Amino acid sequence: MKNRLKVLRAERDWSQGDLAERLEVSRQSVNAIETGKYDPSLPLAFRIADLFGLPIEDIFLRD
Amino acid sequence: MAKNPAQRRYMRRMILLSVAYIAAVMLASWLIPDDAAATLLTVTIALVPALATSGFIWAMASYVAELKDEYVRMLEIRKMLVATGLTLALTSGWGILELFTNVPRVQLFYVFPVWCMGLAVGSLVNKVTIGDGGPCP
Repeated sequence: MKNRLKVLRAERDWSQGDLAERLEVSRQSVNAIETGKYDPSLPLAFRIADLFGLPIEDIFLRD
Repeated sequence: MAKNPAQRRYMRRMILLSVAYIAAVMLASWLIPDDAAATLLTVTIALVPALATSGFIWAMASYVAELKDEYVRMLEIRKMLVATGLTLALTSGWGILELFTNVPRVQLFYVFPVWCMGLAVGSLVNKVTIGDGGPCP
């Protein structure tokens, strides 16, 4: 699944480590999600959406 | 990658269990003579190291259950699935060879070490397929 995580992160000037800390996951996880290697579970997707203050569908896009 | 609390607990448990395992094996080797008959006493003493190996399995299961990071948990579970598949394939294959040919008999003791080596293969599979070998707890 494609996502806008990298853009949203860059807009806030956050590193992958910063985002990982805010989401309480590893930097590895953020990297895997950003690069589309791993699709997060629904609870984690909601946490990401809450953090950016956006609906899930504005962050994760259909292939 | 910095160790998370689940990894730290896992390491602590594995170190303690390893010490217990080595001590139990040394004790069993000292108390039970070679080719001893399987009596209640010898079986009981010989099973003490097995408690530690069961402890290793419990520690690994607890580690996966306690991991908060779902991506890392997925990597670990994939490693375990590869290890389990490899172990089943190898032991079943060798078992069939033992049934039909005179290949040397392999002791069941080696099944768990083979599974542990399978974890390393699982890590390699993760690296090749996902580009991430996962943590090394």
